[in-house]
This record gives sequence, C-alpha cells and structure tokens, in this order.
Amino acid sequence: MFVATWLVVMGVLTLPASSKAQQSSVPVTDAPVKVVVVKGLEGVKDNSKGTIIVGDGSMHITHDTTVSNLDTHSIEDVVTGDDSQRVIRGTAGTLSWFAPYGAGRFLALFRTKLDTVTIKYRDANGGLHGAIFTMPVGQAEVIKKDLLAQGARTTVTEADTKAAATAPDAKEKQ
Amino acid sequence: MRDLRMISRVVVSLSVMLLCGFGAMGQDAPKPVKIKASAIQVDMIHSDEIKLPAEFQVSMYEDLIRQLQKKGGFAHVYREGDRSAASAPDLVTLRSNVTGFKEGSQRKREVTTVAGETQIKIHCIFSDKDGKTLLEADVTGKVRFFGGNLRATYDFAKATTKIAHEHFSSTT
Repeated sequence: MFVATWLVVMGVLTLPASSKAQQSSVPVTDAPVKVVVVKGLEGVKDNSKGTIIVGDGSMHITHDTTVSNLDTHSIEDVVTGDDSQRVIRGTAGTLSWFAPYGAGRFLALFRTKLDTVTIKYRDANGGLHGAIFTMPVGQAEVIKKDLLAQGARTTVTEADTKAAATAPDAKEKQ
Repeated sequence: MRDLRMISRVVVSLSVMLLCGFGAMGQDAPKPVKIKASAIQVDMIHSDEIKLPAEFQVSMYEDLIRQLQKKGGFAHVYREGDRSAASAPDLVTLRSNVTGFKEGSQRKREVTTVAGETQIKIHCIFSDKDGKTLLEADVTGKVRFFGGNLRATYDFAKATTKIAHEHFSSTT
C-alpha cells in the first residue's frame, strides 16, 4: 500500500503519449510483482528489472528510479505464456562454458520456469506497440486478470488457455 | 622451332582468354536500382496459417522497428496505425506473414550444440501507398547455438533491414 501511494505521488511519466499518469484516490489492486522487461517498453532498456502494479486504470511499471504508467484502456491484447531460464546465468553462466569435462553443458540442464505476459498497446498517435515481461510462475494470470478488470482487452480467453494446456501436442518448451 | 613458337602463342592466347574470363566473373553483379522511400510503416506480424506465440510476434515487430530505425536508412519509421504516417511522402508499407515456425529449445542447444534450433520463416511484402507491391522477399530468422528462442526474431529483423537498405533509399 505504501509503495502504491508512493507511485501515485511520484507521477513520473516516461512512456509514450498514450500513457497517462493518473492520480486518483482509488487504491491499487494487488501487491507489486517483480518482473523483467524483456523488450518493447519505451524508455526502458531490454531485460531491465522492475515491478508492476495494476490499479487506477493504469499499469504502473517501476524500473530504477522511474515509474512508467500505461493506460489499461490502451492495451489491446494481453497474452500469458511460459518460458524457462538457466539457474546459473550472467557472467557466471558464461564462465561455466569454460569449465572442464562438459560441466557447463551439465549446468545448462538446470533451469527455472517463468511466466510471460505479452501486451499490445496503442500510443496517442494510434501507433501499435508491444511489450514482453517475464515474472515468477503463477503471477502472469493474476496480472492478466487485473488488467482485464481495469479495461484491457484480450484475444485469448481463459477457455482457450485451458484448451491449449490440455491439448495432446502441448509440450514443455525449454 | 616453328612448332615451339606455335605452341607458345597458343598457350599465351589461352591464358589471356582465361584471365579475361576470370576478370568478368570477378565483377560484382549490378546493384539493384534503389527505390525512393523516405519513410516506412511497419505492420504487425501476421501468422494466418501458422500458430505463432504472442511473444514471438511482438518480439519480431519490435526488433524490426528498432533495426529499421538504426540501420534502415529511412527518415521515419512508423508503427502500424500511426496517424502521422498518412502525410509522409514516398511511404512504403512493410507487411510480414509467417510461413513457417519451429520452436526449438535453448536447453537442447546448450547441452547438445547441434539440436534445438529455432527457426522462423517470413514472407515480407514492401508496398507503396496505393498498395502496389514494390518488393517481395522470403526471410528466415534462426538461432542455432547461443541465446534464447527470441533471438531468432533479432536475426529476422537484421536480415529484413538489410534487404530494405539494399532496395530503398530516402535520397535517390
């Protein structure tokens, strides 16, 4: 709650024109979710870490010391998915390739699962943007529900997601 | 002696002919005449027949716009639906349709090196304001060894930008 109030007070706007900084007394819906902005968000570097809070008719994305507010009504599509990443990554992950006896390859077997949220939204000129976020498992559906409740739209309903999950060709993507 | 002279003449003339032949082969193919285009509008990637995950679709679109802004040679790069594109002179529209998609596995690539390739095949159409097709090309984006599956979209964006840069110019 404290973070949410702080976000509203900050009111820093870095997203393109469509994104509106909305300052209202309506509380945000959920606790902040830790995310990685994979790509697509203007003014935010690829693969930067941040948090998302959905509320006040906006999606608030904090990264470093700035807050980007995206009007949920400008979001045309919200799609969730899943992915995975190496447990040992970054510099240590790169160095592990030089480890003897194929230890690097062995370490590549260990991966953690992730949820992904992909959104498409319009800026003030009508230009279409896309953004991809990754987050801990189980958080994507929560964010999607919150966004839909705040006026965002989706092309993939819950029924579609369930049908895809139970499809015989549904396979693990790693 | 006369025979020797004859043979040497034949050898010299043959070598001259060969050299001329190689010289002609070594010449670069004529460069295509560049079409004047000061701005490009990129449409969202479509996949009518192939089921493409949303993150690949968005990643391709964003990578394509970023690459065209960096290296495309266009004065303006507009997104789909951007109203300011209507007033742009010599506007070219890029439509991309996914014709093939094979989602590999980063784990397989890292463990085996040879398996788990991700590949996306896209048919790109560059058209003018009237909808007349100016250029068509089939582009493939791949990730074979290192990197996540989404790196294939970067590969596609780079290849498409190269094609655009070779065929369009804002100054011609």
